[in-house]
Amino acid sequence: MKTTIQEQDGQLVAILEGRLDTAVSEEVEEQLSPLHKCKDKDIVIDCTNLTYISSSGLRIFLRIVKSAKAKEKPVYIKGMAPNLRSVLSMAGFLNLFVFI
Amino acid sequence: MNKEVKLDPHGEDLMAQFRQRLPELEQLAQKALDLLQNALREQGIYVTAIEQRVKSERSLAGKLELKGAKYKTIEDVTDLVGIRIITFYTDEVDKVAAIAKRVFDIDWQESVDKRKHQLNAFGYNSLHYICRLPGGSVRFELQMRTALQHVWSTIEHDIGYKGAVKIPPEYRRQFSRLAGMLELIDDEFSRLRSSVTDYRRKIQGLVKSGKLDDVTLSSDSFRNFIDLDPFDKLNKRIASVNQAEIFPVPLMPYLPLLESFGLETLGDVQRFVEENSDDAYQMALSQLAVTDLDILSSSTALQYLCIVHVLKNDGGRKGLKEFYDVINGQNDSNEILAEMTLEQAKTLEFMQPKKEETT
Repeated sequence: MKTTIQEQDGQLVAILEGRLDTAVSEEVEEQLSPLHKCKDKDIVIDCTNLTYISSSGLRIFLRIVKSAKAKEKPVYIKGMAPNLRSVLSMAGFLNLFVFI
Repeated sequence: MNKEVKLDPHGEDLMAQFRQRLPELEQLAQKALDLLQNALREQGIYVTAIEQRVKSERSLAGKLELKGAKYKTIEDVTDLVGIRIITFYTDEVDKVAAIAKRVFDIDWQESVDKRKHQLNAFGYNSLHYICRLPGGSVRFELQMRTALQHVWSTIEHDIGYKGAVKIPPEYRRQFSRLAGMLELIDDEFSRLRSSVTDYRRKIQGLVKSGKLDDVTLSSDSFRNFIDLDPFDKLNKRIASVNQAEIFPVPLMPYLPLLESFGLETLGDVQRFVEENSDDAYQMALSQLAVTDLDILSSSTALQYLCIVHVLKNDGGRKGLKEFYDVINGQNDSNEILAEMTLEQAKTLEFMQPKKEETT
C-alpha cells in the first residue's frame, strides 16, 4: 500500500495505491493526517490505483468526511473502480462523497 | 477630534476625565459583552448581532458641546460604554431584556423604553437600559432592538444627521411612515414564526400519537418521523448480518425519492416500510453476506427499501439508475451500480414471476 500527499492546483490530494486493508489502515491513517489538519483547501482522495478497501479503510474515509464537514468542505473521490464504489454503495456511504 | 467642535473649559475638563478613564471603560465594555453573551448562550438565544463600543472622542465632544453643562462629572454621561444587541424578532427584545435584568444592575430612572410611542406616532423603536456590572459603579448603555428597527434607525441617523440643513417635516413624515411599515413587518415575522412553530408542534403530536395518515409527507413531518427511528429495526437486522456498527448519516436526502414513489402521508411511508422490510433484508443479505463490511450507514435500511420498491414496481435498471442519481448525484457510474444491483437482485424471491393461482 502506497500513500502520497500532494498539493495540486490549490487542492490537497491523497493518492492511495494498492490494498487498503486492516493490516495497513493504522499506517495509512497516520499518513493521511494532513487531510484532517487541512483548513482552506479542497480534499481529493485519488483512488485510481486503489484495488481493495476494507471496513477499516472505510472508517478512515468516514473520519476524513467528518473533519471536512466540520469545516463545511466536501471530500472528492477520484477514479474509484466500480467494484469499490459498489462497496461504498452497499454500506450506504456513497452520497457522503463527491465523485469526480 | 472634530475641528469644528469647540468645548468650554468645563467640557475640556470632562474630556480630560474621559481620556483618563479610557482603559477602564474599554475593560468594562468587554466584560459586559462577555457576561451578556454567555448568559444568552446559556438560554439558547441567538441574536443577529451583539457588539460593544467605547464612545469616540469626536462623538463625546459633539455631545459635550451641545449639553456639557448638564454633566457635573464624566460619570454622569451614561453612554460612554455602549452594548447593542440586534435580535431577529420583536419578542426576543423582551427576552434579551429579561436576561439583562438578571446579569446587570439596571438604573431604572435613566432607562427608557423607546418603543412606547404615542398611539398615533411612529419612529425610533429601541429598548435602552442603563446598567452597571453587579457591584460596579460605572454605568453603560444597553440598546436592544430588532434587525428592522436597527435598519430604520441606522438609515434615519445617516440621512437625518448629515449636513447642516434641517430636514423638512414632509421628509420626517416619510421616516415615520417607514417606521410604521417596519413595525407591521416585524409583527408579521413574529406571527409567521409562531404559526410555523404551532404547525411543527401539531405535526410532532400527530406523529407521536401514531395518526400518521393525517400527516402530509413534507420536510418537517419527515424530520419528526425520523426522530422516531422508523428504520432502526431494519437497520439493526441488516447490521446483524456482519455484526456491523451503524454510522449515523442524514436521511433527509431520501425524501424526494419517497415523494417520487407517490407516498403522500407518513402513513404511506409506514406501510412502505412494513411491506418491503423482509425483501429489503433479503436484498441486503445477498449483498452484504459475501463481504466483511462491519460498518454500515444509518441510511442502509432506507436504501434497500427504496431499491426493493423500485424493482417491485418494474423500475428495472432505469429506475435503479434514477434512484442512484437522486442519492449520489448524477453520474455515469450510477449506470454500472444499477446494473450490478439488478444482477444481484435477480435470484431474490420478490423478483421471481408469481405463480398462477390454481383453482
